[in-house]
Amino acid sequence: MLSVAGLTADIGRIPVLKGVSISVAPGETVALLGRNGVGKTSTLRAVLGLLRRTGGSVSYQGQDLGGLAPHRLAALGLGYVPQGRGIFPLLTVEDNLCLGLKGKPPADLFAELYERFPRLAERRRQAAGTLSGGEQQILAIARCLIMRPSLIMLDEPTEGIMPKLVSQIRTEIAAIAKRGIAVLIVEQNLRTALRLADRVYLMERGQVVHEATPAALRETPDTVHRYLGVAL
Amino acid sequence: MSDVVLALAINGLVWGLIIALIALGLSIIFGLLDIINVAHGDLFMVGTVGGLAVTVATGSFWLALVLVPVLGFVLGLVLERVVIRPTIRQAALTIVTTFGLSMMLQEAVRATYGAQPRRMAPPIEGTVPLFGIDYDVYRIAAALFAALALAGFFLFLQRTKLGTWIRAVRHDPETATALGIPVARICGITFALGTAMAALGGVIAAPITTVEFRTGVDILPFCFMAVVIGGLGNLQGTVAAAVLLAVMEGVVTSVSDPTVARIVSLAVMSGVLLFRPHGLFAGATR
Ligand SMILES: Nc1ncnc2c1ncn2[C@@H]1O[C@H](COP(=O)(O)OP(=O)(O)OP(=O)(O)O)[C@@H](O)[C@H]1O
Ligand SMILES: [Mg+2]
Repeated sequence: MLSVAGLTADIGRIPVLKGVSISVAPGETVALLGRNGVGKTSTLRAVLGLLRRTGGSVSYQGQDLGGLAPHRLAALGLGYVPQGRGIFPLLTVEDNLCLGLKGKPPADLFAELYERFPRLAERRRQAAGTLSGGEQQILAIARCLIMRPSLIMLDEPTEGIMPKLVSQIRTEIAAIAKRGIAVLIVEQNLRTALRLADRVYLMERGQVVHEATPAALRETPDTVHRYLGVAL
Repeated sequence: MSDVVLALAINGLVWGLIIALIALGLSIIFGLLDIINVAHGDLFMVGTVGGLAVTVATGSFWLALVLVPVLGFVLGLVLERVVIRPTIRQAALTIVTTFGLSMMLQEAVRATYGAQPRRMAPPIEGTVPLFGIDYDVYRIAAALFAALALAGFFLFLQRTKLGTWIRAVRHDPETATALGIPVARICGITFALGTAMAALGGVIAAPITTVEFRTGVDILPFCFMAVVIGGLGNLQGTVAAAVLLAVMEGVVTSVSDPTVARIVSLAVMSGVLLFRPHGLFAGATR
């Protein structure tokens, strides 16, 4: 469904992506792992056209995204939860939630989301900046879901979140995957990533250097240690 | 003596509200597009000239009051596309391009409308007694129009989808893009809105100022002071600072002269920059 081949991109004059190739199949959950600064965020941004691509190709559901304006991708079903959540703190919770919609959301979807996330319903009229970090992350995910995406890209959704809420976010992501939405997740937390993902890519210095299933990775802890610098 | 102080203070309030409208246009353009629009005063000037021209042509000031901001909006859309967008995100370059735009606007008006200053008869004649002095009815009406436009603009920003999108793009254009918001178009519309506000300020001010191609040159520094004192990006602060500055200049002028008044304003701005670099009202609405 998402297919990225030989993707290159620069930040300033520095090449940050040097030919990244990844793919995500419908309904699949794929994790993109790597140390700080290897280009995980840049990969997602380049896929979405938020970082200008200098080479390679990106296609989604068979459509080449090459000539498409970045703001058109949301309508194709590509959802994005950026690193650091991307919440608009001065806008109300509800304005944040509906930001990507042209008008009011379909009532049933709205009701369903508020039922699922009662904290957001309680505070719908408050500025989103008053929510806790974890609640903001939930809001960012809900804002994505309300647009009925077929693929959601999450960039470190559990970064800087209270341990208590991490498991809730993990459960949410698993629920998203269960509903048949494909997930591409960037994660520092190896345990979370291995538990959620069907397939894992390891990145190093702007390139994908290893691809495996979580089960296979557990068999080869030295690979994990080599590319991520952590023990399993 | 105290009558003079009062009259100039009220004049300051009237001017402050009109300038608030213009400075608010400058402020949203700066906040969203990162542009220091040196031509903003000239867009106000085009509004005054347009206001007079339409009034003379149609015989109706009220038509001009509606038509000129609409034309200003269209002009803003065109200027954004042709002048601003090619240099966007290069703040230093935009000073050069908008300075060029400023000269072109002034010379275009001089070439077509002429260089001689003109006066425009107020659409509402007469005076009313106000705190013991006779005050022009039109000036009060002008303050009212400006205040209504200001309120309308804040309502638009808070209550409409487009306004919400403008606020979102201002804060984080990248995430806004990922959510499907057409950021480039929002920027164009915002520049056009700022232009329309300057033009509206121009029409409102036309009957109480001289109408000529250089009017914008005087107004621009005042708008910048309001934006700085109010706090960059603080829209309500801009409005409050414009009113405050104008009233203060009015009062100082009554006991001294306009040059001293401007010096006082500049001193206030320097003080704010030194001691409250985020603006006089920082913390209130940031
Ligand atoms: N705005 C920027 N200016 C300059 N260099 C940048 C900028 N953003 C990222 N980089 C550099 O680009 C490279 C890739 O960054 P990227 O954010 O994609 O890494 P990442 O894998 O997401 O890291 P992290 O785990 O810390 O989020 C890094 O070396 C980083 O230093
Ligand atoms: Mg990152």
